[in-house]
Amino acid sequence: MSGVAISLSLAACGPQESGGGTSGTGAAEEQNRELIIWEDIEKTDGIQAAVDQFEEENDVTITIVEKPYAQQIEDLRLDGPGGTGPDVLTMAGDQIGTAVIEGLVKEVAVGEEVQSIYTDAAMQSQIVDGKVYGLPKAVESTILYYNKDLIAEEELPATLEEWYEYSKETTTGDQFGFLALFDQIYYAQSVMSGYGGYIFGQDTDGNYDPSDIGLNNEGSLEGANYIQKFYEEDLFPAGIIGEQGINVLESLFTEGKATAIISGPWNVDPFTDAGVNFGMTKLPELDNGENMSSFIGVKSYNVSAYSENAELAEELLVFLANEENSRTRFEETQEVPAVEALANDPVVAESEVAQAVAEQSIFAELTPNIPAMNEVWTPADSALQTIATGKAQPEEALNQAVETIEGQIEATHGGN
Amino acid sequence: MQARKLALLLSILPGFGQFYNKQWIKGLLFLGFGISFFLVFGDLLNMGFWGLATLGTEVPRDNSIFLLAEGLIAVIVTIFGLAFYYVNLRDAYKNGKLRDENKPLSSLKRDYQNLIAQGYPYLISGPSLFILIFAVIFPILFSFALAFTNYDLYHSPPANLADWVGFDTFAKIFTVDIWRSTFFSVLGWTVIWTLVASTLQVALGIFMAVLVNQKDLRFKKFYRTVLVLPWAVPGFVTILIFAGLFNDSFGAINNDILAMVGIDAIPWLTDENWSKLALILMQGWLGFPFIFLVTTGVLQSIPEDLYEAARIDGASIFAQFRNITMPMILIATAPVIITQFTFNFNNFNIIYLFNGGGPAVPGSTAGGTDILVSWIYKLTLQSSQYSLAAALTILLSVFVIAIALWQFRRTDAFKEGA
Repeated sequence: MSGVAISLSLAACGPQESGGGTSGTGAAEEQNRELIIWEDIEKTDGIQAAVDQFEEENDVTITIVEKPYAQQIEDLRLDGPGGTGPDVLTMAGDQIGTAVIEGLVKEVAVGEEVQSIYTDAAMQSQIVDGKVYGLPKAVESTILYYNKDLIAEEELPATLEEWYEYSKETTTGDQFGFLALFDQIYYAQSVMSGYGGYIFGQDTDGNYDPSDIGLNNEGSLEGANYIQKFYEEDLFPAGIIGEQGINVLESLFTEGKATAIISGPWNVDPFTDAGVNFGMTKLPELDNGENMSSFIGVKSYNVSAYSENAELAEELLVFLANEENSRTRFEETQEVPAVEALANDPVVAESEVAQAVAEQSIFAELTPNIPAMNEVWTPADSALQTIATGKAQPEEALNQAVETIEGQIEATHGGN
Repeated sequence: MQARKLALLLSILPGFGQFYNKQWIKGLLFLGFGISFFLVFGDLLNMGFWGLATLGTEVPRDNSIFLLAEGLIAVIVTIFGLAFYYVNLRDAYKNGKLRDENKPLSSLKRDYQNLIAQGYPYLISGPSLFILIFAVIFPILFSFALAFTNYDLYHSPPANLADWVGFDTFAKIFTVDIWRSTFFSVLGWTVIWTLVASTLQVALGIFMAVLVNQKDLRFKKFYRTVLVLPWAVPGFVTILIFAGLFNDSFGAINNDILAMVGIDAIPWLTDENWSKLALILMQGWLGFPFIFLVTTGVLQSIPEDLYEAARIDGASIFAQFRNITMPMILIATAPVIITQFTFNFNNFNIIYLFNGGGPAVPGSTAGGTDILVSWIYKLTLQSSQYSLAAALTILLSVFVIAIALWQFRRTDAFKEGA
């Protein structure tokens, strides 16, 4: 009892002490107009000009710090309250839901006219429960890379079935036709979703429903069955299954041992540096007439909840992501912008990778940005991997995966 | 009333007992220390205890995790304060007692000399004790405390507060089906991995050392250099190279080595049991040079006349090894061998770099080769289950500490050393 009394009396005196302190430092911060931007690695060139202009027009000092973008939200958790955090940071679109629940990013007050310049899917990734939390800066999607020394552009198979036939003809001991990392949901979803599979169902407003999992519905099953035959017939070697698979796949392509692979725009530079004579295009069609789908990854600028100059940070965010600056950034960094008008802009249209990503984006879907998605990756990949290695049949494996996902969502997100 | 009791009573306010004993300077010192303690740490103690008790009441002003850390520091500072307070009481009581017995009080100078003479070891080790408490004890306390909160994605600052939940998180590990089944399968493999991989590397190291140490063997330096090489190359490079070598379709082990002797390709990375074997073999390769070196050192120090006597008595080579070499090695290297076991229990690098805990196992949230520590890593990074990870870490530490203690107590090395 006395313990409770003591803690209550302490509770009475604790916060007052800190109240004065925080407002004091807050007032001091307002004086200096300084902003910090966390930018992706080696992407500063893309925004330097815009930042200089913004500094001049608004009389602020802006510091740009480079950090791997997928890790920035992680760093914000400690740097934010520590007072060394950014005002504007770069994030992956599928992390937004988690960040909003934790309260790490601020809602951004941008009107319809600002939102409307971006492609729908990219903008949608920034919206949680109808509120906007950032602006998209770039989109990514998996595309098809093909080796021009092995196949001419006009001979490219148009459907996945034709690629399957092509692989059957050309695959020998160390030469492969078409390869993809279909043992991972990130890539396999391209096929499964084309047949009607989905991860989480959506309501009419585009909100995801974590209780409606479509990974074992008929479409997903059909897709998984289709995927399985590539492995069963050894068109995909066992060496590209699992953790190290991506390295093997990429080195097979750079060595000219694979005609075509599915990969992302992040490989343009490495493949160019390796001296591969390659071309890029959208993913092939499926035999039901649908185009293969893909996940679009959205990179965005967001305002930290810890920002002391939130209004200014918001202005900077809108400025950085506007049409003109998005174009400049594309020219410097080759990151495909999410601004709709730029898709037909000559600068973008002339770039093969941007063209391929833009074309594929039409058939692409967003990675669900709700926290329950964190529970999907591992079990779904496990199921696909067991399908690929022939340890389980698709139906059994996918049912089990869904069960695991449901269990994990219940265990970690239940009651929320 | 006796002077000792009055002095003790008075020094409830630091220094006043000393004033009563007419030790003015000492009293002032104690009083000064007492007052400055509260001046300096008053805010910290106030906020710290409040934060520790409530973990914050208002968002976004309060950050539960920071409050928890502040609270723990406040507890540590309080313990320092209490220690000082105890010294104050004890000094007043002792001098009061001297007065009761009509003996002269010790002067400040005498006290100082006493302190220097008797307390010297404590004075010298004081700073390192201080560092120890903040650099070692504090982080452990912190992660220990986390396990009793509900700190996860939905209870993390700045949007939400964490709360104390007692043993709920521990209970969950054993009551939530998906966690219980994964926990026990991961634990099982962790134990097997620890025992087999460590035993292999120790046995291999000792075997090689004894072999190379044979008296008539030539080119000893060459053999020793070669055998130390696996240890000389940084582990993470070796592990990544091995990951390539073990690749099912393209790796040199399947394609060149095994194919040469006519063995079919083995699914090293896609079959759970073969992956486990590959990991154990790799750890044997990576780990034996260290044991080899230590054992080589021990072997040099075994007196040759022991063997001579054994030979005269007609002992076989094997008997000599069993009764002379092996016991000598074990006595000298037991602590080192135990560290090999505890190290492998938490050998995160090899699992993470080789195959990330894969291959996938149907119906489990951990991969086929995930050990506890790599599973905890996945839980923290993928699902933001911080409190669960902290709870598992405690369980894991209990295992390691228990095994280490049990083994240390059974070995002679420490009895003799202490």
